[in-house]
Amino acid sequence: MNNIVTIAKNTFRETIRDRILYVILAFAILFILSTIFFGSISLGEDIKIIKDFGLAGIYLFSLIITIFLGGSLIYKEIEKRTLYILLSKPVSSMQVVVGKFLGLFVSILLTIVVMTGIYLVVVFAKGGGFDSIALLAILMQLFEIAVFISLMILFSTFATPLASTIYAVLVLYIGHSLALIIKFVNKNPSNFRPVAVVIYYLLPNLEKFNIRNLVVHDVSISGLSILYAFLYATLYSAILLVLATWSLKKQDL
Amino acid sequence: MIKISKLSKNYGKEKIVENISLTIKKGAVFGFLGPNGAGKTTTIKMLVGLSSPTHGSIKINNKNPKDQSTRERIGFMPEDPYFYDHLTGLELLQFSADLFSEPISNIEDILEDIGLLDAKNKMINTYSKGMKQRLGIAQSLVNDPDYIFLDEPLDGLDPIGRAEIKKIILKLKKQKKTIFFNSHILADVDEICDEIGIIDNGKLIYSGGIKKFRGDKTLEDKFVEVISRNNS
Repeated sequence: MNNIVTIAKNTFRETIRDRILYVILAFAILFILSTIFFGSISLGEDIKIIKDFGLAGIYLFSLIITIFLGGSLIYKEIEKRTLYILLSKPVSSMQVVVGKFLGLFVSILLTIVVMTGIYLVVVFAKGGGFDSIALLAILMQLFEIAVFISLMILFSTFATPLASTIYAVLVLYIGHSLALIIKFVNKNPSNFRPVAVVIYYLLPNLEKFNIRNLVVHDVSISGLSILYAFLYATLYSAILLVLATWSLKKQDL
Repeated sequence: MIKISKLSKNYGKEKIVENISLTIKKGAVFGFLGPNGAGKTTTIKMLVGLSSPTHGSIKINNKNPKDQSTRERIGFMPEDPYFYDHLTGLELLQFSADLFSEPISNIEDILEDIGLLDAKNKMINTYSKGMKQRLGIAQSLVNDPDYIFLDEPLDGLDPIGRAEIKKIILKLKKQKKTIFFNSHILADVDEICDEIGIIDNGKLIYSGGIKKFRGDKTLEDKFVEVISRNNS
């Protein structure tokens, strides 16, 4: 456990000292602040627009940070051979993978906290009050980010950062379209249906974590659905991290 | 003691290391020599558990190098070491120290011995090649290991740097540490080592005392002669 925490702390320190994080965060803050402008041209729906764009902005930029930093996390260690220094010590591949996950997760959590703070201030300043329900949407986004970080770590054990980015974007697109895909194949039975069912259960169903529309339109969200989402994210991330550990162990350094 | 028995490593059909058997006594300084691409780094990676042999076995104090308990007692410096760009020298050593179960408190003493105390709070990405080389050695000594594996420890160092590292290796020798290192700088190997092993095209072509190997010639001359003969 000690080694996991040590590696997590080191990953966190490396991440928050990386300038690219601040560049992306600066763009994110600018985007969230610019929602004030979008709101002002929206004919009376300004709070809804600000919330919609603001939450989407937090989601988008946290994904961008995850892809940028997560895609090279272990790849860099293999390329630069810093992994030789780590794994020649009494450290297991599992500790490296889990430590990296925790370190990156905490870094991204910090950036989400900053973006959320700016968002809440903007909503409050425009007369929307304290948007506590939005915190639920952001919590669900965090669950999704955890799955995504695990996915990026898995990819980074065997793929270059560019390839990891491409795979990530594909998974993101398919992950948010799974419900539509399964609805389509159910309505139009074909030979593709078994493949679609396999893909549906294999790939992460990322739409489970998307409650932004519900939040923007003040629709209530059940505690049970949040619990299911948390359990789903935990289980899926755990499986991905086990796969990442196996992939790293297989590497002949 | 380090015992290597019939060690082989293949990458696909290519034999990188073939049937190496060696015994290195506790407290010895062993130089592992060979031309570029001979299999020295592949061998050392198997010795520290980074890579698995295709055939054969390695025992360090009668234990597998992949055992966590073995790794508590070894130190390894890779060739041309890279580090985390956004850490300082001190942070890297502290990070390395925190990975061991025994608490380690003499980080600054190690930095002083290695000549990096003044640069301890500077980012590693500002270090020169020689400084990074020294930091590589420092992180390999952080747990006061019994067995130290160094891959080209003198590479990239100026004569003063080499003299300082040789002094450290000789000090470790006096402390009865077992040191296994690869090097191209044969004059220094002659000064430091008790025994040598010579590998060429993956095969061990000599192991034993240095004086017995070189006779009246310099180590470098004899080495070149033996390698040329082996390849003709």
